[in-house]
Amino acid sequence: MGKILILNGSPRAPRSNSKAYAQWFTQVCPTETETYAITRDNHLELCRAMENCDHLLLVFPLYADGIPVTLLNFLKTLEENPPQHKPTVSVLINCGFLEPEQSEVAISMVELFCEQNSYPFGSVLSIGSGEAILNTPFRGLVGRKLKQLAASMTRRQGRRLKVTMPLPKKLFLRASTTYWENYGKRNGITRAQMETMDIEI
Amino acid sequence: MNLILSDRPLALPETGPDDIRLIDLSQRKIANCVGCFGCWTKTPGKCVIRDDAVEVYPAIAASDRVLYVSRVKYGGYDTIMKSMLERAIPVQQAFIRLFHGETHHVQRAVAPKQAVILAYGDISPREQQVFRRLVERNASNMNFESHRVVFVPEHEVEEAVKKEVEAWARS
Repeated sequence: MGKILILNGSPRAPRSNSKAYAQWFTQVCPTETETYAITRDNHLELCRAMENCDHLLLVFPLYADGIPVTLLNFLKTLEENPPQHKPTVSVLINCGFLEPEQSEVAISMVELFCEQNSYPFGSVLSIGSGEAILNTPFRGLVGRKLKQLAASMTRRQGRRLKVTMPLPKKLFLRASTTYWENYGKRNGITRAQMETMDIEI
Repeated sequence: MNLILSDRPLALPETGPDDIRLIDLSQRKIANCVGCFGCWTKTPGKCVIRDDAVEVYPAIAASDRVLYVSRVKYGGYDTIMKSMLERAIPVQQAFIRLFHGETHHVQRAVAPKQAVILAYGDISPREQQVFRRLVERNASNMNFESHRVVFVPEHEVEEAVKKEVEAWARS
């Protein structure tokens, strides 16, 4: 299989979880990869980069139940500026919720783009608890799935993979509460302040 | 409050209820969310980007009836509406709760809503199906008590808005 173009569609690409997942993917992927972050100004450059690859891996977070605007806008540009040779499109998506199934609609959106624009659709890895899992003892589970994703893409198997923290929901709630409490603490904000019901007051 | 959030200019019928706020997002300056989590962990309930979005998400939170008017792209909201919905996360807390057996963010003071989504454009049946699933998911994350999706071709948007607003006036 030819080169894989990896595009990071996270709105905070330079310091995103998507970046960490993409980096790890490149380490376990036997095929040559080339990675870019989607920015507001580089859409056409990325469309051109697609000419030299057989596979496109879109890495992004779930945003308001769908694909982030960063990725949406890029796909719209790609629709207008298609490469001559269309790569197979795969998805590596992460959401902060425990259930990777919450990302299904966003994956369907990428599939719709592919259907409407005649790109073959490839494989999927959907990561739940994706905000924190890399900093837990469960990170190894992610590594295993990233390897499976790379293998599925290389062998063109079109697998749909999922991974999340193997925790009962109530335990996940406790762990996530501690995670966010500590996040606030680093900014000098207490849990009570974070729990304000006020909006713009 | 009744809120109409639209990605295009709209003329409202005179027969609707008095307390309708119409926000035409196409005339507002709304930057993309940068995913900084500031609205959860630095200035809770307030976005750090001080553009027009900071007027819009409090209006969303306060409304018990909403009508969202948006073009559909790839089975989702097109850029204008989606940019605003992404910028509306200050209405939620970072903290997670169980809701209908799934993990979701805790809402701040967000009124439960009757939502109508007027989705327009040339929308295939497959795209309609994805969009319906999207709104179903929105319901859990945006406090929709009830929701209804109406698909219309672009030239019928004004007429469809009129119909919905008149229905508000009657109920």
